[in-house]
Amino acid sequence: MMQSLRRRLGLNNPSRPTRVKPEKWVSTTCGYCSVGCGMEIGVRDGMAIASRGLEHHPVNRGKLCPKGLAEHHMLSSSNRARQPLLRKSGRLVEVGWDEAIAALVSNFRACQQRHGSDSLGVIGTGQLLTEEFYALGKLIQLGFGSRNYCGNTTLCMASAVSGYKRSFGSDGPPGAYEDLETAELIILIGANIADNHPILCQHLEANRNKHLVVIDPRVTKTAMLADQYLPLRPRTDIALLNGMAHVLIRDGLVDLNYVSAHTHGFAALKQQLAAYDPESVAITTGLAAQVIIDLAHRYAKAQSAFIGWTMGVNHSTQGAETVSVINNLALLTGHIGKRGSSPMSITGQCNAMGTRELGFTSSLPGYRKFEDPEDRKDLAALWNIDASRIPSARGLAYPDIINAAVNGQIKALWIIATNPMVSYPNRAQAQMALERVDFLVVQDGFHPTPTTELASLVLPAAIWGEKEGVYTNSERRVSKANAAVLPPGEARSDLDIVLAVAQAIGCREELFPNWQGPGDAFEEMRKVTAGRLCDYSGMTYELIEQHGGLQWPFPVGKQDFTAARLYTDGNFEFPDGKARLLPAECLPFPDPTSDKFPYILNTGRTVEHWHTRTKTAEVAILERMAPNAWLEMNPADAQAPAFRNHDFVDIHSRRGVVRNVELRLTQIVAPGQVFMPFHFAGTNINEVTQDAFDPISREPNYKQCAVRVERSATQPNRRYQTS
Amino acid sequence: MSTPTLPLLDRLPCEGEQYRFHFDMAKCIGCKCCVVACNEHNSNPADINWRRVGEIEGGIFPATQRLHLSMGCNHCAEPTCLAGCPVEAYTKDLLTGIVDHSADLCIGCQYCTWNCSYGVPQYDAARGVVGKCDMCHSRINEGENPACANACPEGAIAIEIVDINQWRKHHPEADAPGMPLADHSLSTTRISQAPGAFADLQRVDLDRIEPEPSHWSLVFVLVLMQAATGAILAGVSHWVAFALTSVALSIAPLHLGRPLFAYRAWRGWRTSWLSREVIAFSLFAGAAALPDFRYGAAIIGLIATYCSARIYMVPARPSWNSNFTLFDFYGTVLALGPIFTMPWLAAFGLTSQLILGIHRRRTSRLRIACSILALATLFVSPWICVVFAAAGELLGRARFFETATKNSVASTFLKPGGYCK
Repeated sequence: MMQSLRRRLGLNNPSRPTRVKPEKWVSTTCGYCSVGCGMEIGVRDGMAIASRGLEHHPVNRGKLCPKGLAEHHMLSSSNRARQPLLRKSGRLVEVGWDEAIAALVSNFRACQQRHGSDSLGVIGTGQLLTEEFYALGKLIQLGFGSRNYCGNTTLCMASAVSGYKRSFGSDGPPGAYEDLETAELIILIGANIADNHPILCQHLEANRNKHLVVIDPRVTKTAMLADQYLPLRPRTDIALLNGMAHVLIRDGLVDLNYVSAHTHGFAALKQQLAAYDPESVAITTGLAAQVIIDLAHRYAKAQSAFIGWTMGVNHSTQGAETVSVINNLALLTGHIGKRGSSPMSITGQCNAMGTRELGFTSSLPGYRKFEDPEDRKDLAALWNIDASRIPSARGLAYPDIINAAVNGQIKALWIIATNPMVSYPNRAQAQMALERVDFLVVQDGFHPTPTTELASLVLPAAIWGEKEGVYTNSERRVSKANAAVLPPGEARSDLDIVLAVAQAIGCREELFPNWQGPGDAFEEMRKVTAGRLCDYSGMTYELIEQHGGLQWPFPVGKQDFTAARLYTDGNFEFPDGKARLLPAECLPFPDPTSDKFPYILNTGRTVEHWHTRTKTAEVAILERMAPNAWLEMNPADAQAPAFRNHDFVDIHSRRGVVRNVELRLTQIVAPGQVFMPFHFAGTNINEVTQDAFDPISREPNYKQCAVRVERSATQPNRRYQTS
Repeated sequence: MSTPTLPLLDRLPCEGEQYRFHFDMAKCIGCKCCVVACNEHNSNPADINWRRVGEIEGGIFPATQRLHLSMGCNHCAEPTCLAGCPVEAYTKDLLTGIVDHSADLCIGCQYCTWNCSYGVPQYDAARGVVGKCDMCHSRINEGENPACANACPEGAIAIEIVDINQWRKHHPEADAPGMPLADHSLSTTRISQAPGAFADLQRVDLDRIEPEPSHWSLVFVLVLMQAATGAILAGVSHWVAFALTSVALSIAPLHLGRPLFAYRAWRGWRTSWLSREVIAFSLFAGAAALPDFRYGAAIIGLIATYCSARIYMVPARPSWNSNFTLFDFYGTVLALGPIFTMPWLAAFGLTSQLILGIHRRRTSRLRIACSILALATLFVSPWICVVFAAAGELLGRARFFETATKNSVASTFLKPGGYCK
């Protein structure tokens, strides 16, 4: 009252609040995307009050993206989960940890006894620390004995994993960020790094002699950086890449020595590519035949050539095949394993790589194969268990877990650090799954989220900045994350939660002998990866921090800390050491346009937000800069329906509708195509997207589906309308 | 000299030189790191952004151009914010040329926010004062780049030294799509445009038009003052004019962020029309209290009305920046003051106001109705007429504020903060 009066009279001190200096800076690695920026959290009075980039870090050289610059705000946001919540007579009520863990164990065990071990499904994430993934994998697969464990990484980079495995015999992005600085030719396909990995643009900017080609159906911010922008039609990337390979073969540009020494399948590929002559490909892709020919020549003749991709390639029912076709180009020309040359998947989440290496989901820890008896024996010996306990085949992938829950085969679900109620394609399907299971545990740093609201049990987890361990970034750099502050309320690290559950089901001493913290997990990870492609054995926490992260493979005794690449000797991970050239046909996407649904919808993101905004919606500055979703449409398409800028529109598909989206008329998108960001739960484009999945990688086809756009019944309240 | 030089610069500015921003449009990727870094460094709330990023677009798909414009303060060579400030809260640093603003001196009149073509000074209602980009003066004193330049991953923002006399000739290098021209305040920011920029590049926020605030306290102050001037001119009792002026002068501080400091408002009289208006109307109030000083008081009132109009005639507000503002304000003087004593003069005033409002397209049906009813009752009952006439002038003056157009820098397509919040 007095305060308000003083303010109204102007008596309060108007000076700007002086910037409070942190008492200490805690070095860590950013917890948003997979670029893996080194940074420091400023701490004062036990609160995180500032973020800044680490000055000489090899990844980001002192810079951070807008999310990273405001990352400390996330820790104290009001939507943090603070207390275990158990649903009692329909309401979530606060309980203690003992009761929460007991409820989890008794419900999961009861369900497994009644319906079999595999009736427990677990959906993880790319957000945890590698130590946590490793412990969680052991707990689920060996402790609970369920194979049905997968992660939201399947919504993100499963196609890259499958593509690498199919071509090279193992997962693992072979390049380094340094390649962006040294490559003569850089091709980015389906990768909008200016919005999604802005700090990588620094490495591009440092490369003064490059020729940058951006291939994308939409004029992204990244396309604006390009020397050459190729606006291909949606989902014709395989045709374009095959067309380039056709030209390489036709014009004698193939490195035949490399191909014969290091690959299999050239003859079959050559035969299949005959149909992809530049003229036919030009018709499919909408690009000129000469452009395709020139690009193939440029790629073959460049001293070093880099192909980078992200979700434009992965989010497809042919994602894994598209990755293989990219790999074909690199193998045909020998543009792999050399400085500036690699086919490089730029990953999404901060530690999607960690779960690929050690997560025990799509492969056994240390890039081992479920199918390989030697690999299983190997692990059983390391873990001191009977090899028969290790599954000989992968369990259900994420979408299949959802379908199994809908069909009643999965009866209990444990969802960790992911938000399928916003992120799952054709969201209604995820809701049905979550509502049908008997017991749903959601373990997250944030509550409420649309997913935690459905939970039978909410477990509050510590997040980035509150716990210690390692993340692996897109260039295989294992970096250290550290705790700067304590978790809020009763929240615990995911590792602590895993160990507490293990204790309760009686497998802690067997699976996690003498483990006290992440350091013990890391020691075991070093042993498990020793001699493997993703070799951690020479790493220690101290060495990692000292060098701003270490790229694997890093065996004991390695002294070279410069940028490293895979397959430098042309030896691949198949038993015969040779990579595979794999033919793939370009097929139309599975949800064709029609009179009723005339537009092709493309989805993506914006630089200000992260995924489903559980982390960024409470960071006021990010929310101010990108307050709501929008739909991009070409002005030519707006003429007939007389749409105007800032109108609200509804987007309908064969599956659902999203209403009241602000319309942006823009030349960013082609006529006949529309684009919308996926971050916003309130206007969720995943009501509309298609739950069609890559048969190989099980990754969803988020990128292309047919939609109709209508003017919304309600329009924004604006007093002055423009003409 | 104790001030260290900045990274990338080998010296301090000399006589006739100053620091300025250089923005490289070709390098900017629109990541908005600068905005976040600025807010973090200056501890500003999210809705105040001393640095902002706007979007510019041109061409036809697929030959589309998307560019971004990251702008803080332009630290103009001839800053209009400084000239207009009634309390001398603005200073231009002699060594660096930085246009600084003192929150302690500021009374929150927000006149600078009308004077700046770039929307740089922003009013913080929570503190009752304006604030603006000071090129991170404290960081510069320590030899560090401003927070925005320091955060930019692409090196698109840098500090340079500019020779002001040379810049007078070359200032078109400050112009860019989405930027108001640099000439009237000599904006110093140099903008490197992307090579091959399209001619049709334009800001993407053009359809995002919203009404400006009505400023009701200012509406009453202006109309009451002008009525008082007209009354004394038309020979109405000087006590009526004194009463009207007293009410106006008591309302006036209400629109300040710090009303108790209104007494400082005369300090900028050398350059600020706002200070001059304050002084002139204070004198008018004194003159109106005197008996037998009708013509003296009327002259002071007319001068004060001129000062009022000049406040609004600034290049940054094109819809105000013409003699129509003078006509409008003197029109109110004639429309309201003489109703009781010189109805024909009032009829002229009311009619001209009616026509002016329609001609300038800043009127409303209600306002037109009021003015017509005032005219219709003028010779029937001046008491009824004065009610309608006053209502018409008040509504008209509110519309004067609401329909203001302003020069500004390109913003984003989405309204910052959104529509629904």
